[in-house]
Amino acid sequence: MANVVIMPKQGQSVESCIVTEFKKKVGDKVAVGDILFSYETDKASFDEESKFEGTVLACFFQDNDEIPVLTNVMVIGNEGESFAEFAPDGAAAAAPAAAPAAAEAPKADAAAPAAVETPAAGPVVAGAPVSPRARKLAEEKGVDTAQVAGSGPHGRIIERDVIAAAGAPKSGLAKAMAAAGGFEAPARGTGLDGMVKGSDLKQWQPTHTDIAGEGEEFTVEKMSNMRKLIAKSMYNSLQNTAQLTHMLGADARRVQALRKKAKKALEEGRIDANITINDFVCYAVIKALQKFPKVNSHCLGDAMRIFKTVNLGCAVDTERGLMVPCVKNAENLNIAGLSKSLKKVADDCKKGSINPDLLASEAASFTVSNLGGFGVEWFTPIINVPQSAILGVGTIVPRPKDLGGGVYAFVPYMGLSLTYDHRAIDGGEATRFLKQVAVEIENLEVEF
Amino acid sequence: MPKSLYIDPNKTLRPEEHKIVLPEIPVMQYKKSVKDELKEGNFTKDDLLRIYHDMFVIREFETMLNLVKTTGGYNGVEYNNPGPAHLSAGQEAAAVGMAYNLDTDDFIFGSHRSHGEILAKGLRSIQILPDEELEKVMNEFWDGATVAVAKTGFKGTTKELGIRFLLYGAMAEIFARTTGFNKGLGGSMHTFFTPFGIYPNNAIVGGSGSIAVGAALYKKVNRKKGIVVANLGDGAMARGPVLEGMTFASMDQFHTLWEGDMKGGLPVLINVMDNQYAMGGQTRGETMGYDFPARLGAGFNPEAWHAERVNGYDPLAVIDAFRRKKALLEKKEGPALLDVVTYRYSGHSPSDQSSYRTKEEIAAWEAEDCIVAYGKKLIEAGVADQAALDAIQKEVKDVIFDCYKLAIDEKVSPRMDLVKENELLGDMMFSNQSIDSLSDAKPDVLMPMEENPRVKQIAGKERFYKDKDGKPVSSMKMYNFRDGVFEAIVDRFYKDASLIAYGEENREWGGAFAVYRGLTEALPYHRLFNSPIAEAAIIGTALGYAMCGGRVIPEIMYCDFLGCCGDEIFNQLPKWQAMSGNILKMPVVVRVSVGSKYGAQHSQDWTSLCTHIPGLKVVFPVTPYDAKGLMNSALQGTDPVIFFESQRLYGIGEQFHEGGVPAEYYEIPLGEPDIKRAGKDVTFLTIGATLYRALKAADMLKEKYGMEAEVIDARTLVPFNYEKVIESVKKTGRIIIAGDATARGSFLNDLAANITELCFDYLDAAPVVLGSRNWITPCHELEEAFFPQPEWFLDAINEKIVPLKDYVPVSNQTDAQAIIRAKKGV
Repeated sequence: MANVVIMPKQGQSVESCIVTEFKKKVGDKVAVGDILFSYETDKASFDEESKFEGTVLACFFQDNDEIPVLTNVMVIGNEGESFAEFAPDGAAAAAPAAAPAAAEAPKADAAAPAAVETPAAGPVVAGAPVSPRARKLAEEKGVDTAQVAGSGPHGRIIERDVIAAAGAPKSGLAKAMAAAGGFEAPARGTGLDGMVKGSDLKQWQPTHTDIAGEGEEFTVEKMSNMRKLIAKSMYNSLQNTAQLTHMLGADARRVQALRKKAKKALEEGRIDANITINDFVCYAVIKALQKFPKVNSHCLGDAMRIFKTVNLGCAVDTERGLMVPCVKNAENLNIAGLSKSLKKVADDCKKGSINPDLLASEAASFTVSNLGGFGVEWFTPIINVPQSAILGVGTIVPRPKDLGGGVYAFVPYMGLSLTYDHRAIDGGEATRFLKQVAVEIENLEVEF
Repeated sequence: MPKSLYIDPNKTLRPEEHKIVLPEIPVMQYKKSVKDELKEGNFTKDDLLRIYHDMFVIREFETMLNLVKTTGGYNGVEYNNPGPAHLSAGQEAAAVGMAYNLDTDDFIFGSHRSHGEILAKGLRSIQILPDEELEKVMNEFWDGATVAVAKTGFKGTTKELGIRFLLYGAMAEIFARTTGFNKGLGGSMHTFFTPFGIYPNNAIVGGSGSIAVGAALYKKVNRKKGIVVANLGDGAMARGPVLEGMTFASMDQFHTLWEGDMKGGLPVLINVMDNQYAMGGQTRGETMGYDFPARLGAGFNPEAWHAERVNGYDPLAVIDAFRRKKALLEKKEGPALLDVVTYRYSGHSPSDQSSYRTKEEIAAWEAEDCIVAYGKKLIEAGVADQAALDAIQKEVKDVIFDCYKLAIDEKVSPRMDLVKENELLGDMMFSNQSIDSLSDAKPDVLMPMEENPRVKQIAGKERFYKDKDGKPVSSMKMYNFRDGVFEAIVDRFYKDASLIAYGEENREWGGAFAVYRGLTEALPYHRLFNSPIAEAAIIGTALGYAMCGGRVIPEIMYCDFLGCCGDEIFNQLPKWQAMSGNILKMPVVVRVSVGSKYGAQHSQDWTSLCTHIPGLKVVFPVTPYDAKGLMNSALQGTDPVIFFESQRLYGIGEQFHEGGVPAEYYEIPLGEPDIKRAGKDVTFLTIGATLYRALKAADMLKEKYGMEAEVIDARTLVPFNYEKVIESVKKTGRIIIAGDATARGSFLNDLAANITELCFDYLDAAPVVLGSRNWITPCHELEEAFFPQPEWFLDAINEKIVPLKDYVPVSNQTDAQAIIRAKKGV
């Protein structure tokens, strides 16, 4: 029976070899040990020796053919024996078709993409992380990242989220306002080509759904911008000053009498202002401040601003929260003028039309906060930094007073609470000032 | 594995001799007196007095340093020398005896305790150099800056000036001055001066043991005059590089396979300065078992390295031994080993209190003092009287004091101001030259390049992975990665006669990965040979070869074997260019193959270890085009390059470079990453074979998620130009940095940190590092869990960069898992 010569497998990784030369041709006689053909792998060359004796009956390949390993190459036997059954698949034309490695080559031209990268709409999350790239783009485009839903890992706001949220182009002012936060921009504005202008921005009311546990026990409301501002300035005050409070009562009989007189004058049309007890107290405070210029000041840590005028701040409770507008040059006003000025800034605050310059804490040189109307006797007001002090005015309550000669009587007293920054003012001076306020209240002289 | 050497089982199993006969090793056989030597005409009286002079120069030099270290001054002039001082007082006869027969073509290499040897060799060179040559050497060195200081207030002969130059240059180097022999960058343990044949001393004990062998190889292969002496301590004979260097120097092939004038032994002499101590350990009786270091010769070749133990307390005995050994080396009968008995009076360093030896022992050796004893012999022989010797001593002391005052003077001997000029040292780390050939000789080759069978085979290949019709080319007919490396190397072999290559199997087999197939036919043995399995010697000899001026490609068969030559790769190769003050170049291209498939000790990517060491260029091409271009650049340069190749890719074709790999010569500059595929949504920066998995990931990303990845191949790790990467990240805002090195401590993190700093405002997510797991490399069948896979890229994108729609991750890339793994240390 005829014998088959196969292409040996030279090493595990070899898949095919090239026959460099067939040394024996069909019809040649071969002995054991004769070299049938030379072949090479990429690493080395070899000679294939015959293990059989006989005649070459068939050779399925030619010189320089690349032959997969373990493929039948030659048939050796006795002349006349059949060999066709040994022909490798596809007969003599076998070799290069195999080319196995090439099939694994990466596709050069991948099919067109099916999907496009789009952000999945997610919730807006308070304090969500923002990638540096998104932050930079938000600044450039005027996008408030607090209003953007993050689609990155763990809710991170990434570039595409800012792009999606950017909307129409914004004017310079609109960009600056939006990037600073607190405003909501429409998708299109009223400017040219839908450009968003500063006036198109609205106060932003955040809605939040991400604080865990919301439901039966509590609801969640995002702090308004105003609230956040107040929080920041109050916290800043307590963190950064050495403040403490002295409390002292003032005999209120004089101001009560003046109030009565003013009421009557108003009714009689002699004056056009409703002068309140608070107005009288403020009037007294202005007088005291003029005698204690160091209290009428700002403490800057390493320097003081000593004011020549009294810019009086007055705490106003509004629906939106605490506001402290200021009346400039208050020492130039008479009592009716002061009363009207205080009323005007308070009303402007409530209406929201107050000039923002008058709200700045730097605007006032001293602040009065009156909780008397609510029955609070004493409290510890918080300094509106950088001001050096604040006076809290309490309600009027009757207190025993030594009228002399062993006679005691109940007299109406007003609670005065002075919080001062010990960095700016020492206790003695603060006490003397507070006493001066009481003296002014008790001896107030006004014309109307 | 040459076929010409037949391993005959008959002779192997049934030898004629039934015992190994070791040759006798002579011990202290020199018996001559000064009178005998004079009578035989071996020395003139002047010669004998000069020997005395040279020994005393060394003694006073070391005394000066000892006083500076221990008393803060010398002759009443204060100085604080914070650097090391390993002194050799007591060993003067051994040093001067060693140098006496050497001329400037003979090179010496030393140790941390080699002040005496360099002074002896320097003094000898000054003595034998003609005046005009000596002047030329001094005037050309640092453009005359060193000799200008040495000349201060001096009027005398050229030779006297030479001595001042030598003493001042060495002192200035020890005191870290720019006028020192190596600009003060080498210091006490590394001072050397090549114009006098003084090659680097080595602060790593035994470091010179293989480097000196490489220098001898350079002399032999490049037909240069001279022998090479490695001065080592007795303690160094325990060190691997010494034993590996001796093994390399002992190779039979120098006699059996190297042909023509290359036949014969290497001209190298291992000279053991046998001073009895290795730190505080006593080599004889305590830390070694050789009894005498000379015995080691018997272990290496049948000639026992012609080993001899000689009396290093008699300079004439040492001179006699060196005269005979040098003649032997010149007859190509080397290598040789001398065991020169001596004794160091001082401790290992001035901080050593000599607590391990008795005062009596030191006193007994001092009673035999080599200088005193030799002086007595000179007087006995009538060569000089005491007054003459005293005059020599005074003259020496004066010149050393003069030089000392100059060397400590900030004005004339300033230090480098690395604070003001803070790039100065950085600019010295690499030589960055571009030189076609480091030899003027015609390269020794065995056939014209075009007749080479491999060259012919490659000529018939397709040079791109697809043919003209866009059909994939079969692997056998495709020009592949190993062809790219081969073409660059064979080209250089025909251009640069100094180029040699060797490693563990580099010849008939063509290297373990067949890159060199065809080179055997092209090159004689002395340019391409198989080395012993001794990585420390492979790299150590390459170092010595390059230091002397040759170009060399040593091969480390598997990256995992880098540890076996850790000192040579990490402590020697990167250091010598800067440490020599840029006098030396190190044109060594170390080919390192990165494995896969063979488990924990054969599959590691240690590129990061190499990037950590300043002074190495680190290259890792993964395409045939890049391999050829980067190898051409590496071979054109003059710096040490660690050239990594991936075993996954030897058979890969060129898929990127349009038109395929050019047949002609071209260079790709080291340091430029390459954009292999442009994209806009995310950047993949890869090191090594990971490129192909990144490309697959890019395909998946595009097909399934419509995102286009820009894929950048780092190609070179050191140097590295970030500009292209920055540009890409500015565009995409996202980057994954991937490679096959285990992630912890890898260069991937270095890239990530720098990219974060350089692109912070442009990043849409922190750069993600994808390295291998911090495990052993498991067996091939489990490797997918270990090396970064295409799916890991998508996992990382989904988890850390941008969530992918309806994505199911394969690997765990979460922060929580990262913390857990770090806690476990994996």
